[in-house]
Amino acid sequence: MKKEHKHENTKKFGMVIDLDKCTGCGACMVACMAENNVPFKKDESDKLDSITWICVYKLTNGKSFPDTEICYLPRPCMHCSGIGEHGHSPCVSVCPATATDYDHTTGIVSQIYTRCFGCRYCMAACPYHARYFNWWDPVWPEGMEKSLNPDVSPRMRGVVEKCSFCFHRYQAAMDKAYTEGRRELEEDEYQTACTQACPAGAITFGDLDNPDHKVYELKKSPNAFRLLERLKTNPKVYYLSSRDWVRKAGDNYLEAESKVKKKIV
Amino acid sequence: MKLNRRNFLSLGVGVVAGTTLSPLPWKLMDDVSIWTQNWPWTPVPPDGEVTYEKSVCTLCPGGCGITVRKIDDRAVKIEGIEGHPVNDGGVCLLGLSGLQLLYGPTRIKSPLKRVGERGEGKWQTISWNQALTEVAVKLGELRSNDRSHTVACISGSDQGTVPGLLNRFLTAYGSPNYIRTPSIHDSYEIALSLMHGGQSSAGFDVENADFVLSFGSGIIDGWMSPVRMIKANSIWKNEKSKVVQIEPRLSNTAAKSDTWVPIKPGTDAALALGLAHVIIKESLYNKDFVEKYAFDFNAFKTIVLESFGPDDVAKITGVDKKTILSLAKQFAGASKPLAICGRGQGKTPGSIDEVAAVHALNALVGNINKPGGVWAVSQPDYIKWPEVQMDAVASSGMKRERVDGAGSEKFPNANYLLNRWVGAVNSSKESPVQALFITDANPCYTLSDTSVVKKAFDRIPFVVSFSSNINETALNADLILPSHASLERYEDVPLSAGLTKSVIALSKPVVKPQFNTKHVGDVIIEIAKKLGGSIEEAFPWDDYETCLKATLGDKWDALVENGYWSDPDFGVPPWEGAFATGSMKFEFLGVVRARGGEKDVQAKHLFTPVTIEGNEKSYPLTLIPYDSLRLANGSIGDPPFAIKTVEDTVLKHKDVFIEMNPETAEAYDISEGDYAVLNTPKGKARVKIHLFDGIMPGLVAMPTGLGHTGPDEYLAGKGINFNELIGPVEDADFGLDVVWGIRANLTKA
Amino acid sequence: MDSALIPKGVKRCSLGLFTLGIAVAGAVLLWGVYAMLLCWIKGLNQTNMNDYYGFALWIWADLAVIALGGGAFFTGFLRYVIGKDELKNIINYAVIIGFICYSSALLILAIDVGQPLRSWFIFWHANVHSMLTEVAFCLSCYFVVLIIEFIPLILENRQLDKVPFFHNLSHNMHEVMAIFAATGAFLSFFHQGSMGGIAGVLYGRPFGSREGLLVWPWTFFLFTWSAAACGPCFTILVTWITEKITKKKLVKDNVIRLLAKISGWMLATYIIAKIIDTWYWATVTAPSMGFTLMDFYSNNAFYGIWILVLEIFVCGVIPALILITKTGRNNSKLLMTAVILAVIGVCINRWVMVLQMMAMPVLTFENWVLYLPSWQEVATTILPVAYGVIVLALSYRYLPVFPQEKELNPID
Repeated sequence: MKKEHKHENTKKFGMVIDLDKCTGCGACMVACMAENNVPFKKDESDKLDSITWICVYKLTNGKSFPDTEICYLPRPCMHCSGIGEHGHSPCVSVCPATATDYDHTTGIVSQIYTRCFGCRYCMAACPYHARYFNWWDPVWPEGMEKSLNPDVSPRMRGVVEKCSFCFHRYQAAMDKAYTEGRRELEEDEYQTACTQACPAGAITFGDLDNPDHKVYELKKSPNAFRLLERLKTNPKVYYLSSRDWVRKAGDNYLEAESKVKKKIV
Repeated sequence: MKLNRRNFLSLGVGVVAGTTLSPLPWKLMDDVSIWTQNWPWTPVPPDGEVTYEKSVCTLCPGGCGITVRKIDDRAVKIEGIEGHPVNDGGVCLLGLSGLQLLYGPTRIKSPLKRVGERGEGKWQTISWNQALTEVAVKLGELRSNDRSHTVACISGSDQGTVPGLLNRFLTAYGSPNYIRTPSIHDSYEIALSLMHGGQSSAGFDVENADFVLSFGSGIIDGWMSPVRMIKANSIWKNEKSKVVQIEPRLSNTAAKSDTWVPIKPGTDAALALGLAHVIIKESLYNKDFVEKYAFDFNAFKTIVLESFGPDDVAKITGVDKKTILSLAKQFAGASKPLAICGRGQGKTPGSIDEVAAVHALNALVGNINKPGGVWAVSQPDYIKWPEVQMDAVASSGMKRERVDGAGSEKFPNANYLLNRWVGAVNSSKESPVQALFITDANPCYTLSDTSVVKKAFDRIPFVVSFSSNINETALNADLILPSHASLERYEDVPLSAGLTKSVIALSKPVVKPQFNTKHVGDVIIEIAKKLGGSIEEAFPWDDYETCLKATLGDKWDALVENGYWSDPDFGVPPWEGAFATGSMKFEFLGVVRARGGEKDVQAKHLFTPVTIEGNEKSYPLTLIPYDSLRLANGSIGDPPFAIKTVEDTVLKHKDVFIEMNPETAEAYDISEGDYAVLNTPKGKARVKIHLFDGIMPGLVAMPTGLGHTGPDEYLAGKGINFNELIGPVEDADFGLDVVWGIRANLTKA
Repeated sequence: MDSALIPKGVKRCSLGLFTLGIAVAGAVLLWGVYAMLLCWIKGLNQTNMNDYYGFALWIWADLAVIALGGGAFFTGFLRYVIGKDELKNIINYAVIIGFICYSSALLILAIDVGQPLRSWFIFWHANVHSMLTEVAFCLSCYFVVLIIEFIPLILENRQLDKVPFFHNLSHNMHEVMAIFAATGAFLSFFHQGSMGGIAGVLYGRPFGSREGLLVWPWTFFLFTWSAAACGPCFTILVTWITEKITKKKLVKDNVIRLLAKISGWMLATYIIAKIIDTWYWATVTAPSMGFTLMDFYSNNAFYGIWILVLEIFVCGVIPALILITKTGRNNSKLLMTAVILAVIGVCINRWVMVLQMMAMPVLTFENWVLYLPSWQEVATTILPVAYGVIVLALSYRYLPVFPQEKELNPID
């Protein structure tokens, strides 16, 4: 029997990304681009100006040959809920025009492109660099606009965009559920494009508060950590790694602290 | 009223106040913002009915099942088929970018005839009728001059109906020169034929292995079938299976492995033999298999024990003795150990000695045709067409020796030797190839020593490309007969990339052909009809689709429904009767004997280091390539989405980075991001330096897949094609290209 | 030729020379306008900003000009609310400088946003939690106040003053100016504070983030305080430059020294507060996020601890000490040194709170990112300077800006 939730319609969608499994193949990035009509330029090698809602970072342990290790870390928007889960994520609270908002029913941080007027305060606020600005008009080479997904509107120049946890998929799934007389979704009915594509199955997506969802238990793993937890951003993306140095790379620690940590480990 | 200053001013103030209070400015402000929200130059994708169409991805040999989301007649997203035997829902980034190839401006929109110089990119649009007539006339001419054997065809595959039709056409026409592009499959096929007997390709039951010993195979970097391998990697993580990666550079595969064993490049076979030594010496091998099903274990044992002791091997490979002993014990001690090879993605054949030595390890632990082991998989034989009735010209043409020498007295074991083919075209006074057809291949980019390949192309008077997107080879053609893109056509795709099952997939016309293109199958049939006679008779079908449906017979419905067909009766033969060698047993030294060690097997027949080009003095560094899933390096280059994912320590603007150990860099007084000129005996390139602790000192590594000259500004001109800096090194006995690197020097720019 | 427009009893340079000066400034202005149009038409790709530098030179310029324009509100506050009557001799100029600074800030903001045509959404869809909303509201309101404060001065032009309506309007406005000055001071207190809040509330950015009082981080108060301290210094500086250019004494020393003295004490108290804030930040706030002070000032090619020393000690403590001592104030060289240092100090403060904050990595696997503005950014940032020069020149030439000018420069 399903447990009765206090707020039946309140969800807290989040992700658990298993870094032991992630191979850094980049499929999540492209799945996201294709799903969300992310524009591309002729030269995308300047990573300070390259829109990748989910971006795979390459971490190294800093040791020299042959003790070097690499770990890939995909970084979507963390959909931070802020201190006390109030929804005051670093970005939402600073947007002057309410163009980005925290949806308390899903825990998703939205971005309204047509309302955003491009002040970029949210970008300054986000420590994860999850937010991207449309410095250029999006241009699709002749014919390629045929591959655009009608569920996600292409963004105009001059606005900020970011990962939405494929919110349009949630809406579509909810629409379908409603027409079938249901108010609740099954776990597999709403999955993000990156989760779906990941060849490694490294990404698990679901309601962090729902004990029936896989993420519920996964996030409790002793190997689980979040990025920059000390800033109290309260992200909804968890990572799993069996490697100590990777877990430690998730946050900033003072030297004295890491010494203590090392002793414990 | 007199208009004095005062009135004028009042009027002015009044107008300003009146306008401000009127709705006009507010309305304008609102309208203008609405306009910015709907800029006409920002596209709005039309909505429509959503449908899904199952097909197969053909952008690499992996054979992933895909389901394409459509909005009315537009394909908008490629996703993986859940439950598919290859990819079970996953897709790689190249597959995900597939629609950019389908809809992109790199498509060839109609038959083209070259008007400028080769490679200049000046074309004239011609009709299909004219194009086919020109081909038929040319072929007719050659045939009437008894030169049918000078026609060749290069293809990326030799399986399925389209390669089948091409091959059939060449047979009926009278040429033995059907050539498949090189890959690790060449080596595995030869090794299996010599060690197992018969024709088969290697299947790897990776999912069930619990200890994987990889000799440089980029398991998760695109080896064999990329998505399947990544899935297997996750299974290994779940099952706590162990992966040992042996290679000099910390590739992604090495990074994900449980143990990374850096090794001197090119010495993998020696390490495999060293492990065999330990396994045999400590009597850790599978006695059942070795005693009952192997033919020459004792001979193998003698030579391995004699010449490949851990101390010697440690010296050759740079892997210390302790590691060798431990690896051997772990491998033999695992319940389902699996040893694999094929450097990186396996895009080059590599050393056959290595395949033989690695395969011998599998045999020692008896995991041949077992769960978690290596299987010799025979190809599905669903193509049952009547024998070609050759006329006299065809018969005499087919009796000629192949241009590449494969199957000749010198190289009796080889099937295709494209590297030798290039040499043969260049070395004869008149090119032995007078007309060339290319499909599903881009040899002008993918073959090593690119300039020599281009030279060979220049010597061939008539080059026809079937490419649907522009690429380096199509740019060097005289005629392009553009094929439908794979999402626009029916085609059977037998999956062969290391799969342990017999699976045929069906590529389907997800969308109707976007341009004036034609199916290669139809082109062949129509040319055959134009040529008439026995050639026409060899093609009794009205069109390709008729041929395909007839060929697939009762499998057709399942293929249309599921996108793939899997042989329900498929099973791997038990050891008893599995081997078709002379001895009807597994032959450890099958390859060695073919090498000429028939009578007196010597250590050098098992392992002789491949000498790479360049002397150590003038080229103190060793340059190796590395493969990445983010950089497609096959016949298709990176579409815009894929190149976008390439890190800025690999490519920055137009510059490629080579990886170098900080220790090596110090000796060259070079720092991160510096420019340098990299010289090899084959060419030179301006590169940038990326310091990487994960590469063995003394080596430099360069990514493959860059340096394209086409097809568009998203890819062209970025970085260097590794193949320009390296040339083939031929195996004296098998003719295969065994190169793994080249010596290089570096000067700070 | 334009003598009818020039205030009575003062001497101005020839129209030709004046026009030449305006032309030079005008050329710079046009260059800026060209860059501005490029940014509007082609978009912000014309800048060197990027996804790591969403805030860059322009936001710094905004923060800096608002701080420097703080002379208007604080002098007004002193003159009308506190009743420092001597300051009437410099208040006009302070208001004009304030007007220029604030109009420039609004212009730069209009260039800086990606969608200027819908920037009014900030009012329409206002998010009350955002410091930027507060800034926008207060800034616009205060700008209206500045216009109101500027109008009577314009109406005092010899020709306009002849119109009885304008004469009376001007007179009546002067009467109620105290109310506007008080309103202005109140508004300024908030938006100067909000400007500081912009960085202070960014709890994802350890370099800028500060704890605080209720919803306001300490930077909120520090910014107001520093603007009140350094704004008047900028007024003094501009007045001094004007005197140098016109080769005239325009404001009596006692007025300048009074303003300098008040500034000095403001600066002194500010810098003490700033030192306490920095110390608390370095020892409590930052370590709680896993950073040491030196993490903020190392591992990069530019931002060393020198910038902190420069900001707080060289451009804070030193000018404060000069200004609060009588000897310092009375020595004009020392006074001007102090004033210049204070102006530089507040600019550095605004710089680090925007650009160093952006430059510093927060994720452990990222690196410092440095940035150089494009010429378009530089030109649009210089644009307000040229515009300011022109407005100042026109005002000086045609308006009775300095009540003491006649007295100090009698015409024979």
